[in-house]
Amino acid sequence: MEIILQQLAPTPLKDKITENSSDVWKKTLSFHKGEHVFIQAPSGTGKTTLIHILYGLRTDYEGEVHWDGKLLNGMNETQQAHLRAGFLSVVFQDLRLFSEFTTWENLEIKRTLTNTVAQQRVEEMLQRLGILEKKNALAKTLSYGEQQRVAIIRALLQPFDWLLMDEPFSHLDSVNIDKAVSLIAEVSAANNAGIILADLERNDYFLYHKKLFL
Amino acid sequence: MAWLSLCAGTTLLLLSVMIWWNFQELLYGKNENDSLGNSFIILSKSVTNDNMGRPDLTVFSQSEIIALSNAPQVQDVGVLTSNRFPAYIALNANMDFSSEIFLEAVPDRFIDKKPLEWNWQQGNREIPIILSREFLNLYNYGFALSQGLPQLSQSSIQALAFDLVLGSPELRETYSARVVGFSDRITSVLVPQSFIEFANEKYGRNAAAFPSRLILNVKDPSNTHFVQFLESKNYATNAEQLRWNKVRAVVEVIASATGLLAILLMGISVLVFVLFIELTIARAQQSLSLLLQLGYDPGYLRKFMMQRFIPLMLAAIVVAVIFAAIAQWLASIFIVRMNLQLPALPGFPVWIAVFLSIVLLVLQIRISVIKAMKSI
Repeated sequence: MEIILQQLAPTPLKDKITENSSDVWKKTLSFHKGEHVFIQAPSGTGKTTLIHILYGLRTDYEGEVHWDGKLLNGMNETQQAHLRAGFLSVVFQDLRLFSEFTTWENLEIKRTLTNTVAQQRVEEMLQRLGILEKKNALAKTLSYGEQQRVAIIRALLQPFDWLLMDEPFSHLDSVNIDKAVSLIAEVSAANNAGIILADLERNDYFLYHKKLFL
Repeated sequence: MAWLSLCAGTTLLLLSVMIWWNFQELLYGKNENDSLGNSFIILSKSVTNDNMGRPDLTVFSQSEIIALSNAPQVQDVGVLTSNRFPAYIALNANMDFSSEIFLEAVPDRFIDKKPLEWNWQQGNREIPIILSREFLNLYNYGFALSQGLPQLSQSSIQALAFDLVLGSPELRETYSARVVGFSDRITSVLVPQSFIEFANEKYGRNAAAFPSRLILNVKDPSNTHFVQFLESKNYATNAEQLRWNKVRAVVEVIASATGLLAILLMGISVLVFVLFIELTIARAQQSLSLLLQLGYDPGYLRKFMMQRFIPLMLAAIVVAVIFAAIAQWLASIFIVRMNLQLPALPGFPVWIAVFLSIVLLVLQIRISVIKAMKSI
Protein backbone atom coordinates (compact mmCIF):
# COMPACT_ATOMS: atom_id res chain seq x y z
CA MET A 1 0.00 0.00 0.00
CA GLU A 2 1.51 3.25 -1.17
CA ILE A 3 1.00 6.65 0.44
CA ILE A 4 1.17 9.79 -1.69
CA LEU A 5 1.08 13.31 -0.25
CA GLN A 6 0.38 16.12 -2.68
CA GLN A 7 0.91 19.76 -1.71
CA LEU A 8 -0.35 19.01 1.77
CA ALA A 9 -0.86 22.03 4.05
CA PRO A 10 -2.99 22.09 7.20
CA THR A 11 -5.24 25.13 7.32
CA PRO A 12 -4.11 26.34 10.80
CA LEU A 13 -0.43 26.27 9.72
CA LYS A 14 -0.94 27.52 6.19
CA ASP A 15 0.55 30.93 6.78
CA LYS A 16 3.60 29.64 8.65
CA ILE A 17 4.64 27.29 5.86
CA THR A 18 6.99 28.88 3.37
CA GLU A 19 8.31 27.41 0.13
CA ASN A 20 11.35 25.63 1.50
CA SER A 21 10.75 25.47 5.22
CA SER A 22 9.58 21.85 5.31
CA ASP A 23 10.33 18.52 3.63
CA VAL A 24 6.69 17.47 3.91
CA TRP A 25 4.28 20.41 3.84
CA LYS A 26 3.43 21.70 0.37
CA LYS A 27 5.59 18.97 -1.17
CA THR A 28 4.73 15.93 -3.21
CA LEU A 29 5.98 12.77 -1.54
CA SER A 30 5.37 9.08 -1.82
CA PHE A 31 6.06 6.37 0.75
CA HIS A 32 6.31 2.77 -0.39
CA LYS A 33 5.24 -0.32 1.46
CA GLY A 34 7.89 -1.57 3.86
CA GLU A 35 9.69 1.77 4.09
CA HIS A 36 10.78 3.16 7.43
CA VAL A 37 10.18 6.90 7.51
CA PHE A 38 11.29 9.22 10.28
CA ILE A 39 9.81 12.67 10.54
CA GLN A 40 11.64 15.06 12.81
CA ALA A 41 9.30 17.75 13.94
CA PRO A 42 10.13 20.49 16.45
CA SER A 43 7.24 21.72 18.56
CA GLY A 44 4.56 23.61 16.70
CA THR A 45 5.43 22.36 13.23
CA GLY A 46 2.35 20.12 13.03
CA LYS A 47 3.68 16.66 13.91
CA THR A 48 0.51 15.40 15.52
CA THR A 49 -1.52 17.19 12.85
CA LEU A 50 0.33 15.23 10.16
CA ILE A 51 -0.26 11.88 11.91
CA HIS A 52 -3.96 12.74 12.34
CA ILE A 53 -4.26 13.78 8.69
CA LEU A 54 -2.62 10.53 7.55
CA TYR A 55 -4.95 8.55 9.85
CA GLY A 56 -8.00 10.39 8.52
CA LEU A 57 -8.95 12.12 11.76
CA ARG A 58 -8.51 15.65 10.41
CA THR A 59 -9.86 17.11 7.23
CA ASP A 60 -8.88 20.75 7.69
CA TYR A 61 -6.08 20.80 5.14
CA GLU A 62 -5.30 21.71 1.58
CA GLY A 63 -3.74 19.25 -0.84
CA GLU A 64 -4.36 15.55 -1.09
CA VAL A 65 -3.52 12.30 0.68
CA HIS A 66 -3.81 9.09 -1.32
CA TRP A 67 -3.84 5.63 0.19
CA ASP A 68 -3.10 3.14 -2.57
CA GLY A 69 -4.40 5.59 -5.15
CA LYS A 70 -7.58 6.32 -3.20
CA LEU A 71 -8.24 9.84 -2.00
CA LEU A 72 -8.42 9.70 1.81
CA ASN A 73 -10.86 12.58 1.94
CA GLY A 74 -13.16 10.82 -0.49
CA MET A 75 -13.57 7.71 1.64
CA ASN A 76 -16.74 7.23 3.60
CA GLU A 77 -16.79 6.18 7.27
CA THR A 78 -17.06 2.50 6.45
CA GLN A 79 -14.14 2.59 4.00
CA GLN A 80 -12.05 4.42 6.59
CA ALA A 81 -12.99 1.86 9.22
CA HIS A 82 -11.92 -0.87 6.79
CA LEU A 83 -8.61 0.92 6.20
CA ARG A 84 -7.97 1.34 9.93
CA ALA A 85 -8.93 -2.21 10.82
CA GLY A 86 -6.78 -3.96 8.24
CA PHE A 87 -4.10 -1.73 6.77
CA LEU A 88 -3.24 1.15 9.04
CA SER A 89 -2.38 1.10 12.71
CA VAL A 90 -1.41 3.95 14.99
CA VAL A 91 0.18 4.84 18.31
CA PHE A 92 -1.28 8.20 19.31
CA GLN A 93 0.79 10.73 21.16
CA ASP A 94 -1.97 10.98 23.74
CA LEU A 95 -2.32 7.14 23.74
CA ARG A 96 -6.14 7.13 23.83
CA LEU A 97 -6.79 4.13 26.04
CA PHE A 98 -10.15 3.37 27.66
CA SER A 99 -9.23 4.61 31.10
CA GLU A 100 -12.06 2.72 32.86
CA PHE A 101 -11.03 -0.60 31.32
CA THR A 102 -8.16 -2.86 32.31
CA THR A 103 -5.02 -3.33 30.26
CA TRP A 104 -6.32 -6.67 29.03
CA GLU A 105 -9.73 -5.26 28.09
CA ASN A 106 -8.11 -2.41 26.18
CA LEU A 107 -6.10 -4.93 24.20
CA GLU A 108 -9.05 -7.27 23.69
CA ILE A 109 -11.12 -4.44 22.19
CA LYS A 110 -8.52 -4.14 19.45
CA ARG A 111 -7.67 -7.82 19.15
CA THR A 112 -11.27 -9.01 18.72
CA LEU A 113 -11.84 -6.46 15.95
CA THR A 114 -9.88 -8.59 13.47
CA ASN A 115 -9.09 -11.64 15.62
CA THR A 116 -5.82 -12.19 13.79
CA VAL A 117 -3.58 -12.39 16.85
CA ALA A 118 -3.90 -15.12 19.48
CA GLN A 119 -4.45 -14.20 23.12
CA GLN A 120 -1.32 -16.16 24.02
CA ARG A 121 0.68 -13.90 21.69
CA VAL A 122 -0.75 -10.82 23.44
CA GLU A 123 0.40 -12.15 26.82
CA GLU A 124 3.80 -12.79 25.34
CA MET A 125 3.97 -9.17 24.14
CA LEU A 126 2.96 -7.93 27.62
CA GLN A 127 5.69 -10.12 29.04
CA ARG A 128 8.28 -8.76 26.62
CA LEU A 129 7.47 -5.15 27.46
CA GLY A 130 7.39 -5.94 31.19
CA ILE A 131 3.78 -5.12 31.94
CA LEU A 132 2.24 -8.58 32.21
CA GLU A 133 1.60 -8.04 35.92
CA LYS A 134 -0.48 -4.99 34.96
CA LYS A 135 -2.76 -7.13 32.83
CA ASN A 136 -5.79 -6.67 35.10
CA ALA A 137 -5.07 -3.15 36.28
CA LEU A 138 -7.33 -0.34 35.15
CA ALA A 139 -5.69 1.77 32.45
CA LYS A 140 -6.11 4.92 34.51
CA THR A 141 -4.05 3.44 37.34
CA LEU A 142 -1.05 2.77 35.08
CA SER A 143 1.90 5.11 34.86
CA TYR A 144 2.22 7.04 31.60
CA GLY A 145 5.13 4.83 30.55
CA GLU A 146 3.07 1.73 31.19
CA GLN A 147 0.14 3.18 29.26
CA GLN A 148 2.50 3.94 26.40
CA ARG A 149 3.54 0.29 26.24
CA VAL A 150 -0.11 -0.82 26.29
CA ALA A 151 -0.82 1.57 23.41
CA ILE A 152 2.14 0.16 21.45
CA ILE A 153 1.02 -3.44 21.96
CA ARG A 154 -2.55 -2.45 21.01
CA ALA A 155 -1.30 -1.05 17.71
CA LEU A 156 0.29 -4.40 16.89
CA LEU A 157 -2.85 -6.51 17.40
CA GLN A 158 -4.15 -6.19 13.85
CA PRO A 159 -2.80 -6.75 10.36
CA PHE A 160 -1.31 -3.53 8.94
CA ASP A 161 0.63 -2.19 5.98
CA TRP A 162 1.63 0.97 7.78
CA LEU A 163 2.24 1.78 11.42
CA LEU A 164 1.99 5.45 12.37
CA MET A 165 3.69 6.48 15.61
CA ASP A 166 3.61 9.86 17.29
CA GLU A 167 6.32 10.19 19.95
CA PRO A 168 5.80 6.53 20.92
CA PHE A 169 8.66 6.29 23.41
CA SER A 170 8.47 9.69 25.08
CA HIS A 171 8.01 8.21 28.58
CA LEU A 172 10.18 5.12 28.29
CA ASP A 173 13.73 4.57 29.48
CA SER A 174 16.31 3.32 27.00
CA VAL A 175 16.00 -0.34 28.10
CA ASN A 176 12.27 -0.30 27.56
CA ILE A 177 12.65 1.61 24.30
CA ASP A 178 14.92 -1.14 23.01
CA LYS A 179 12.40 -3.81 23.97
CA ALA A 180 9.57 -1.90 22.32
CA VAL A 181 11.57 -1.17 19.18
CA SER A 182 12.52 -4.81 18.79
CA LEU A 183 8.89 -5.91 19.20
CA ILE A 184 7.63 -3.31 16.72
CA ALA A 185 10.36 -4.18 14.21
CA GLU A 186 9.54 -7.86 14.53
CA VAL A 187 5.79 -7.46 14.08
CA SER A 188 6.07 -4.96 11.23
CA ALA A 189 8.57 -7.20 9.45
CA ALA A 190 6.13 -10.07 9.82
CA ASN A 191 3.44 -7.85 8.30
CA ASN A 192 5.90 -6.58 5.70
CA ALA A 193 4.72 -3.17 6.84
CA GLY A 194 6.12 0.33 6.65
CA ILE A 195 6.67 2.64 9.63
CA ILE A 196 6.15 6.35 9.91
CA LEU A 197 7.55 7.64 13.18
CA ALA A 198 7.31 11.28 14.15
CA ASP A 199 9.32 12.66 17.04
CA LEU A 200 10.79 15.88 18.32
CA GLU A 201 14.42 14.83 18.34
CA ARG A 202 16.55 12.94 15.86
CA ASN A 203 16.87 9.20 16.73
CA ASP A 204 18.02 5.91 15.29
CA TYR A 205 15.52 3.51 16.80
CA PHE A 206 14.90 1.92 13.42
CA LEU A 207 16.83 1.70 10.20
CA TYR A 208 15.18 4.59 8.44
CA HIS A 209 14.94 4.74 4.67
CA LYS A 210 13.82 8.35 4.77
CA LYS A 211 14.41 11.09 7.28
CA LEU A 212 12.32 14.17 6.74
CA PHE A 213 12.22 17.48 8.51
CA LEU A 214 8.75 18.85 9.08
CA MET B 1 -36.91 7.36 33.99
CA ALA B 2 -36.96 7.35 30.22
CA TRP B 3 -37.96 3.72 30.28
CA LEU B 4 -40.75 4.42 32.76
CA SER B 5 -42.03 7.27 30.64
CA LEU B 6 -41.98 5.12 27.52
CA CYS B 7 -43.75 2.40 29.47
CA ALA B 8 -46.38 4.85 30.73
CA GLY B 9 -46.84 6.38 27.29
CA THR B 10 -47.25 3.02 25.59
CA THR B 11 -49.60 1.82 28.31
CA LEU B 12 -51.77 4.90 27.89
CA LEU B 13 -51.75 4.53 24.14
CA LEU B 14 -52.78 0.88 24.34
CA LEU B 15 -55.40 1.63 26.98
CA SER B 16 -56.93 4.37 24.89
CA VAL B 17 -56.96 2.14 21.81
CA MET B 18 -58.59 -0.43 24.02
CA ILE B 19 -61.18 2.02 25.35
CA TRP B 20 -61.99 3.05 21.81
CA TRP B 21 -62.17 -0.54 20.62
CA ASN B 22 -64.30 -1.62 23.57
CA PHE B 23 -66.73 1.18 22.82
CA GLN B 24 -66.85 0.02 19.23
CA GLU B 25 -67.48 -3.51 20.44
CA LEU B 26 -70.25 -2.35 22.76
CA LEU B 27 -71.78 0.03 20.25
CA TYR B 28 -71.42 -1.78 16.96
CA GLY B 29 -69.99 -5.20 17.81
CA LYS B 30 -71.46 -8.55 16.95
CA ASN B 31 -71.90 -9.41 20.62
CA GLU B 32 -75.46 -9.30 21.72
CA ASN B 33 -75.11 -6.34 23.97
CA ASP B 34 -78.21 -4.87 25.36
CA SER B 35 -79.57 -1.51 24.25
CA LEU B 36 -76.25 -0.01 23.30
CA GLY B 37 -74.80 1.22 20.13
CA ASN B 38 -76.96 1.43 17.09
CA SER B 39 -80.17 2.42 18.66
CA PHE B 40 -83.32 0.49 18.15
CA ILE B 41 -86.50 2.45 18.35
CA ILE B 42 -90.09 1.39 18.11
CA LEU B 43 -92.10 3.47 15.72
CA SER B 44 -95.82 3.82 15.46
CA LYS B 45 -98.17 6.39 14.02
CA SER B 46 -99.51 8.88 16.51
CA VAL B 47 -103.11 8.21 17.38
CA THR B 48 -104.90 11.53 16.99
CA ASN B 49 -108.50 12.58 17.21
CA ASP B 50 -108.70 12.38 13.43
CA ASN B 51 -107.54 8.81 13.00
CA MET B 52 -109.08 7.42 16.21
CA GLY B 53 -111.23 4.41 15.51
CA ARG B 54 -109.80 3.95 12.06
CA PRO B 55 -107.10 1.29 12.44
CA ASP B 56 -106.34 1.38 8.73
CA LEU B 57 -104.88 4.88 9.24
CA THR B 58 -102.45 3.87 11.97
CA VAL B 59 -100.76 1.05 10.09
CA PHE B 60 -97.74 1.25 7.86
CA SER B 61 -98.14 0.54 4.18
CA GLN B 62 -95.44 -1.23 2.15
CA SER B 63 -94.42 2.04 0.50
CA GLU B 64 -94.14 3.77 3.86
CA ILE B 65 -91.89 0.97 5.11
CA ILE B 66 -89.67 1.35 2.04
CA ALA B 67 -89.58 5.13 2.54
CA LEU B 68 -88.54 4.58 6.15
CA SER B 69 -85.75 2.21 5.28
CA ASN B 70 -84.36 4.91 3.02
CA ALA B 71 -84.75 7.63 5.66
CA PRO B 72 -81.62 9.31 7.06
CA GLN B 73 -79.70 7.26 9.66
CA VAL B 74 -82.00 4.24 9.30
CA GLN B 75 -80.05 1.02 8.83
CA ASP B 76 -82.70 -1.63 9.18
CA VAL B 77 -86.45 -1.81 9.49
CA GLY B 78 -88.31 -4.67 11.09
CA VAL B 79 -92.00 -5.35 11.35
CA LEU B 80 -93.66 -6.19 14.64
CA THR B 81 -96.07 -8.96 13.74
CA SER B 82 -98.94 -9.19 16.18
CA ASN B 83 -101.39 -11.99 16.86
CA ARG B 84 -104.63 -12.03 14.98
CA PHE B 85 -106.30 -14.54 17.29
CA PRO B 86 -107.47 -14.46 20.90
CA ALA B 87 -104.83 -15.50 23.45
CA TYR B 88 -105.05 -16.16 27.17
CA ILE B 89 -102.30 -16.87 29.57
CA ALA B 90 -102.83 -18.80 32.78
CA LEU B 91 -100.54 -19.86 35.56
CA ASN B 92 -100.09 -23.57 35.11
CA ALA B 93 -100.41 -24.33 38.82
CA ASN B 94 -103.20 -21.91 39.56
CA MET B 95 -106.01 -21.58 37.08
CA ASP B 96 -107.35 -18.56 38.97
CA PHE B 97 -104.61 -16.47 37.52
CA SER B 98 -105.38 -15.87 33.90
CA SER B 99 -105.36 -12.95 31.58
CA GLU B 100 -105.97 -12.10 28.00
CA ILE B 101 -102.78 -11.07 26.38
CA PHE B 102 -101.38 -10.02 23.06
CA LEU B 103 -98.31 -11.48 21.41
CA GLU B 104 -95.88 -9.93 19.00
CA ALA B 105 -92.84 -11.11 17.10
CA VAL B 106 -89.87 -9.35 15.54
CA PRO B 107 -87.14 -10.74 13.36
CA ASP B 108 -84.42 -12.24 15.59
CA ARG B 109 -81.82 -9.65 14.58
CA PHE B 110 -83.79 -7.00 16.47
CA ILE B 111 -83.79 -8.82 19.78
CA ASP B 112 -81.36 -7.23 22.24
CA LYS B 113 -80.31 -10.34 24.09
CA LYS B 114 -81.27 -13.56 22.46
CA PRO B 115 -81.70 -16.33 25.06
CA LEU B 116 -80.44 -19.80 24.25
CA GLU B 117 -83.96 -21.24 24.31
CA TRP B 118 -85.13 -18.71 21.76
CA ASN B 119 -86.37 -20.96 18.98
CA TRP B 120 -89.54 -22.68 18.00
CA GLN B 121 -90.27 -25.27 15.40
CA GLN B 122 -93.58 -26.60 14.29
CA GLY B 123 -94.66 -29.35 16.65
CA ASN B 124 -93.02 -27.83 19.73
CA ARG B 125 -95.57 -27.47 22.52
CA GLU B 126 -93.45 -25.11 24.58
CA ILE B 127 -93.34 -21.47 23.56
CA PRO B 128 -90.50 -19.21 24.73
CA ILE B 129 -91.49 -15.68 25.66
CA ILE B 130 -89.44 -12.54 26.00
CA LEU B 131 -91.16 -10.08 28.28
CA SER B 132 -90.57 -6.36 28.37
CA ARG B 133 -88.83 -5.43 31.57
CA GLU B 134 -91.20 -2.49 31.74
CA PHE B 135 -94.16 -4.86 32.11
CA LEU B 136 -92.46 -6.60 35.00
CA ASN B 137 -91.85 -3.24 36.65
CA LEU B 138 -95.45 -2.21 36.09
CA TYR B 139 -96.57 -5.42 37.77
CA ASN B 140 -94.08 -5.27 40.65
CA TYR B 141 -94.43 -1.60 41.53
CA GLY B 142 -97.89 -0.76 40.29
CA PHE B 143 -100.04 -3.81 40.34
CA ALA B 144 -98.68 -6.21 42.95
CA LEU B 145 -98.42 -3.62 45.73
CA SER B 146 -101.96 -2.34 45.27
CA GLN B 147 -103.52 -5.81 44.85
CA GLY B 148 -101.61 -7.47 47.67
CA LEU B 149 -99.93 -9.86 45.24
CA PRO B 150 -96.33 -11.01 45.66
CA GLN B 151 -93.62 -9.08 43.88
CA LEU B 152 -91.70 -11.31 41.51
CA SER B 153 -88.04 -11.37 40.63
CA GLN B 154 -86.86 -12.04 37.07
CA SER B 155 -85.64 -15.49 37.97
CA SER B 156 -88.86 -16.44 39.75
CA ILE B 157 -90.88 -15.41 36.71
CA GLN B 158 -88.59 -17.49 34.54
CA ALA B 159 -89.22 -20.47 36.80
CA LEU B 160 -93.01 -20.28 36.35
CA ALA B 161 -94.74 -22.47 33.82
CA PHE B 162 -97.66 -20.83 32.06
CA ASP B 163 -100.43 -22.20 29.93
CA LEU B 164 -100.95 -20.35 26.72
CA VAL B 165 -104.44 -20.80 25.38
CA LEU B 166 -104.83 -19.81 21.77
CA GLY B 167 -107.73 -19.50 19.32
CA SER B 168 -111.44 -18.94 19.36
CA PRO B 169 -113.71 -21.41 21.21
CA GLU B 170 -114.29 -23.58 18.12
CA LEU B 171 -110.50 -24.18 17.65
CA ARG B 172 -108.77 -23.77 20.95
CA GLU B 173 -105.44 -25.27 21.89
CA THR B 174 -103.24 -25.02 24.94
CA TYR B 175 -99.47 -24.67 24.79
CA SER B 176 -97.09 -24.34 27.64
CA ALA B 177 -95.13 -21.13 27.80
CA ARG B 178 -92.10 -19.96 29.69
CA VAL B 179 -90.50 -16.56 30.06
CA VAL B 180 -86.93 -17.02 28.86
CA GLY B 181 -85.73 -13.44 28.84
CA PHE B 182 -86.44 -9.79 29.34
CA SER B 183 -86.09 -6.94 26.93
CA ASP B 184 -85.40 -3.28 27.43
CA ARG B 185 -85.76 -2.59 23.79
CA ILE B 186 -89.22 -3.71 22.84
CA THR B 187 -92.19 -2.99 25.02
CA SER B 188 -94.17 -6.11 24.21
CA VAL B 189 -94.72 -9.78 24.86
CA LEU B 190 -92.49 -11.43 22.26
CA VAL B 191 -92.69 -14.93 20.89
CA PRO B 192 -90.55 -16.34 18.08
CA GLN B 193 -91.42 -15.10 14.62
CA SER B 194 -91.86 -18.67 13.34
CA PHE B 195 -94.45 -19.33 15.99
CA ILE B 196 -96.53 -16.23 15.38
CA GLU B 197 -96.61 -16.94 11.65
CA PHE B 198 -97.72 -20.48 12.30
CA ALA B 199 -100.34 -19.43 14.85
CA ASN B 200 -101.73 -16.59 12.73
CA GLU B 201 -102.14 -19.07 9.90
CA LYS B 202 -103.84 -21.64 12.11
CA TYR B 203 -105.94 -19.60 14.53
CA GLY B 204 -106.09 -16.26 12.74
CA ARG B 205 -109.50 -14.77 12.14
CA ASN B 206 -108.77 -12.15 9.57
CA ALA B 207 -106.39 -11.80 6.69
CA ALA B 208 -102.85 -10.58 7.15
CA ALA B 209 -102.92 -6.95 8.19
CA PHE B 210 -100.37 -4.23 7.75
CA PRO B 211 -98.14 -3.76 10.78
CA SER B 212 -98.93 -0.95 13.19
CA ARG B 213 -95.55 -0.93 14.87
CA LEU B 214 -92.10 -1.06 13.34
CA ILE B 215 -88.71 -1.53 14.91
CA LEU B 216 -85.90 0.54 13.47
CA ASN B 217 -82.18 0.12 13.74
CA VAL B 218 -80.96 3.70 13.66
CA LYS B 219 -77.38 4.87 13.65
CA ASP B 220 -78.00 8.08 15.52
CA PRO B 221 -81.61 8.78 16.52
CA SER B 222 -80.65 12.18 17.86
CA ASN B 223 -79.69 13.22 14.34
CA THR B 224 -81.75 16.26 13.43
CA HIS B 225 -82.57 15.07 9.90
CA PHE B 226 -83.97 11.89 11.30
CA VAL B 227 -85.99 13.69 13.96
CA GLN B 228 -87.38 16.07 11.32
CA PHE B 229 -88.29 13.12 9.14
CA LEU B 230 -90.25 11.54 11.99
CA GLU B 231 -92.04 14.79 12.76
CA SER B 232 -92.97 15.42 9.14
CA LYS B 233 -94.57 11.96 8.93
CA ASN B 234 -96.22 12.33 12.33
CA TYR B 235 -94.57 9.17 13.61
CA ALA B 236 -94.33 8.60 17.34
CA THR B 237 -91.44 7.10 19.19
CA ASN B 238 -89.86 7.00 22.58
CA ALA B 239 -88.22 10.34 23.35
CA GLU B 240 -86.12 8.82 26.13
CA GLN B 241 -84.25 6.82 23.55
CA LEU B 242 -83.39 10.01 21.70
CA ARG B 243 -82.05 11.60 24.86
CA TRP B 244 -79.84 8.60 25.67
CA ASN B 245 -78.26 9.06 22.31
CA LYS B 246 -77.06 12.50 23.24
CA VAL B 247 -75.29 10.92 26.19
CA ARG B 248 -73.81 8.39 23.83
CA ALA B 249 -72.51 11.11 21.54
CA VAL B 250 -70.83 12.76 24.52
CA VAL B 251 -69.27 9.44 25.52
CA GLU B 252 -67.93 8.99 22.00
CA VAL B 253 -66.38 12.45 22.08
CA ILE B 254 -64.75 11.63 25.42
CA ALA B 255 -63.43 8.34 24.01
CA SER B 256 -61.90 10.16 21.04
CA ALA B 257 -60.47 12.84 23.33
CA THR B 258 -58.85 10.10 25.41
CA GLY B 259 -57.30 8.78 22.21
CA LEU B 260 -55.93 12.19 21.27
CA LEU B 261 -54.53 12.66 24.74
CA ALA B 262 -52.90 9.24 24.60
CA ILE B 263 -51.28 10.02 21.26
CA LEU B 264 -49.97 13.25 22.75
CA LEU B 265 -48.58 11.41 25.78
CA MET B 266 -47.07 8.76 23.54
CA GLY B 267 -45.41 11.55 21.59
CA ILE B 268 -43.98 13.04 24.78
CA SER B 269 -42.72 9.68 26.00
CA VAL B 270 -41.09 8.95 22.64
CA LEU B 271 -39.42 12.34 22.95
CA VAL B 272 -38.15 11.47 26.43
CA PHE B 273 -36.86 8.14 25.13
CA VAL B 274 -35.13 9.86 22.21
CA LEU B 275 -33.49 12.28 24.63
CA PHE B 276 -32.43 9.29 26.71
CA ILE B 277 -30.85 7.73 23.61
CA GLU B 278 -29.08 10.97 22.77
CA LEU B 279 -27.89 11.41 26.34
CA THR B 280 -26.61 7.84 26.51
CA ILE B 281 -24.72 8.26 23.25
CA ALA B 282 -23.41 11.65 24.34
CA ARG B 283 -22.14 10.05 27.55
CA ALA B 284 -20.49 7.29 25.56
CA GLN B 285 -19.25 9.72 22.94
CA GLN B 286 -15.60 9.46 23.93
CA SER B 287 -15.64 5.69 23.94
CA LEU B 288 -17.55 5.54 20.68
CA SER B 289 -15.20 7.92 18.93
CA LEU B 290 -12.21 5.98 20.26
CA LEU B 291 -13.73 2.76 18.91
CA LEU B 292 -14.15 4.45 15.53
CA GLN B 293 -10.52 5.52 15.70
CA LEU B 294 -9.46 1.97 16.46
CA GLY B 295 -11.13 0.85 13.25
CA TYR B 296 -14.56 -0.24 14.40
CA ASP B 297 -17.14 0.04 11.64
CA PRO B 298 -19.67 2.82 12.31
CA GLY B 299 -22.43 0.51 11.08
CA TYR B 300 -21.38 -2.09 13.63
CA LEU B 301 -21.36 0.53 16.41
CA ARG B 302 -24.81 1.77 15.38
CA LYS B 303 -26.09 -1.79 15.52
CA PHE B 304 -24.44 -2.27 18.87
CA MET B 305 -26.10 0.87 20.26
CA MET B 306 -29.48 -0.08 18.81
CA GLN B 307 -29.20 -3.49 20.43
CA ARG B 308 -28.91 -1.72 23.75
CA PHE B 309 -32.06 0.35 23.27
CA ILE B 310 -34.34 -2.09 21.50
CA PRO B 311 -34.62 -4.58 24.41
CA LEU B 312 -35.45 -1.63 26.70
CA MET B 313 -38.14 -0.51 24.28
CA LEU B 314 -39.51 -4.04 23.89
CA ALA B 315 -39.59 -4.47 27.67
CA ALA B 316 -41.59 -1.24 27.97
CA ILE B 317 -44.06 -2.49 25.37
CA VAL B 318 -44.36 -5.92 26.98
CA VAL B 319 -45.16 -4.27 30.33
CA ALA B 320 -47.69 -2.02 28.59
CA VAL B 321 -49.32 -5.03 26.92
CA ILE B 322 -49.51 -6.78 30.30
CA PHE B 323 -51.19 -3.71 31.79
CA ALA B 324 -53.58 -3.53 28.86
CA ALA B 325 -54.42 -7.22 29.12
CA ILE B 326 -55.09 -6.90 32.85
CA ALA B 327 -57.25 -3.82 32.24
CA GLN B 328 -59.21 -5.63 29.54
CA TRP B 329 -59.71 -8.63 31.77
CA LEU B 330 -60.92 -6.44 34.64
CA ALA B 331 -63.20 -4.54 32.26
CA SER B 332 -64.67 -7.78 30.95
CA ILE B 333 -65.42 -8.90 34.51
CA PHE B 334 -66.79 -5.53 35.54
CA ILE B 335 -68.97 -5.13 32.47
CA VAL B 336 -70.72 -8.45 33.09
CA ARG B 337 -72.35 -6.83 36.12
CA MET B 338 -73.98 -4.37 33.73
CA ASN B 339 -75.34 -7.21 31.61
CA LEU B 340 -72.88 -6.45 28.85
CA GLN B 341 -70.19 -8.56 27.31
CA LEU B 342 -66.60 -7.76 26.40
CA PRO B 343 -63.83 -10.11 25.30
CA ALA B 344 -61.38 -11.05 28.08
CA LEU B 345 -58.36 -10.35 25.87
CA PRO B 346 -57.44 -7.16 24.01
CA GLY B 347 -58.69 -7.23 20.46
CA PHE B 348 -56.86 -6.88 17.18
CA PRO B 349 -56.74 -3.03 17.10
CA VAL B 350 -54.69 -3.22 20.29
CA TRP B 351 -52.30 -5.71 18.67
CA ILE B 352 -52.10 -3.49 15.60
CA ALA B 353 -51.24 -0.58 17.92
CA VAL B 354 -48.56 -2.75 19.58
CA PHE B 355 -47.14 -3.71 16.21
CA LEU B 356 -47.15 -0.12 14.93
CA SER B 357 -45.56 1.13 18.16
CA ILE B 358 -42.75 -1.40 17.79
CA VAL B 359 -42.16 -0.53 14.13
CA LEU B 360 -42.25 3.22 14.79
CA LEU B 361 -40.04 2.99 17.86
CA VAL B 362 -37.47 0.82 16.08
CA LEU B 363 -37.39 3.38 13.26
CA GLN B 364 -37.16 6.23 15.77
CA ILE B 365 -34.33 4.52 17.67
CA ARG B 366 -32.50 3.94 14.38
CA ILE B 367 -32.90 7.58 13.36
CA SER B 368 -31.82 8.84 16.80
CA VAL B 369 -28.79 6.55 16.94
CA ILE B 370 -27.68 7.49 13.42
CA LYS B 371 -28.15 11.17 14.23
CA ALA B 372 -26.35 10.95 17.55
CA MET B 373 -23.48 8.95 16.06
CA LYS B 374 -23.07 11.50 13.27
CA SER B 375 -22.24 14.15 15.82
CA ILE B 376 -19.30 12.11 17.14
